[in-house]
Amino acid sequence: MSSSISSPTLQVCRACSGGAPVDAHFCPQCSKILALGRHGDYFTFLGLPRKLKLDAEDLEQRFRRLSRQFHPDYFYNATPAERRASLERSSYLNDAYRTLRQSIARIEYLLQIEGLAPKNPQEASRQVPPALLEEVFALNEELDEIRDLRASGASAEVWKGRLEGARQPIEAKRVEHESQLQELSARWDALVDAGAGESDRRAALEALRDRFLERNYINNLLAGIERELNS
Amino acid sequence: MAYSNKVIDHYENPRNVGSLPKDDVNVGTGLVGAPECGDVMKLQVKVNPATGVIDDAKFKTFGCGSAIASSSLATEWLKGKTVDEAMAIKNTDIVNELSLPPVKIHCSVLAEDAIKAAIADYKKKQGVERSAEKAAQPTA
Repeated sequence: MSSSISSPTLQVCRACSGGAPVDAHFCPQCSKILALGRHGDYFTFLGLPRKLKLDAEDLEQRFRRLSRQFHPDYFYNATPAERRASLERSSYLNDAYRTLRQSIARIEYLLQIEGLAPKNPQEASRQVPPALLEEVFALNEELDEIRDLRASGASAEVWKGRLEGARQPIEAKRVEHESQLQELSARWDALVDAGAGESDRRAALEALRDRFLERNYINNLLAGIERELNS
Repeated sequence: MAYSNKVIDHYENPRNVGSLPKDDVNVGTGLVGAPECGDVMKLQVKVNPATGVIDDAKFKTFGCGSAIASSSLATEWLKGKTVDEAMAIKNTDIVNELSLPPVKIHCSVLAEDAIKAAIADYKKKQGVERSAEKAAQPTA
């Protein structure tokens, strides 16, 4: 996984051996489509700054414009290398668009290219704060007890009331979580705009990563409650 | 993805589900989680202070079938082992016993982490207990 510092800035055109910026799609010298060898990330591919706030309409326009430019139909009579390049660029473009258009996937991708995604599940697991685990465990136990209560024939009023009681703190946590993600995303963007140093940037990304550790727990708990209410 | 028969057996008839008194000085508790799947696993051991052998082990896991099976199997293996023997249990032993597929290997790692965390908690309590005894000795 390459960090932002070591990202390459140039690529070489395989058709004319000329140099091209890493975010170029067509060779500035011979105008042939460039093979997707050395390339930037999804942001640079779409000509976007590495920021989390993104105009959905602008993103879609960029996607459509590039889709047309790369479309394999235009390379029907081109050399095999160009046909392959058009396919590779189309496919990479689709991945980039799919990832960047969703705010959550966008944050996860940013963490990944900045080298902050956990290397493996074990590493992620060791980052979870014990207090969060205690809380999640207690909430799961409460849901278990409500299921038992329901199975033992308690009236709907009773178990639904208790389920609602369990839902409230988790829902509050979710709202808090979402607002923190927004706040931290805005902080990251401001740091990028200000050209902030590595340590400030890293601190912002680490805060975002820490928030992601709780995300699946909150979603699983809420999904468990929904399942119970709808079954 | 198909679960192995052993996973299904542990999932349908989990062994040693429950909890031990957390504040008992001879009980060690390990609570670990996998944020990527939202799993949380609690594993506890009760050690006989005279022999150093694990008398009892309990678990409670909220997660997928493989996570439940891994922790259920771990408690079975822990009973009758000394603390040192327990520390030697490897996640790969669990993978082999349950025939876990590659995507579920992290469940076995979680179980190994839970064992280590429980033993560490037990040792910490014993250490604190011993230093408390020492501190309680008459000084005058």
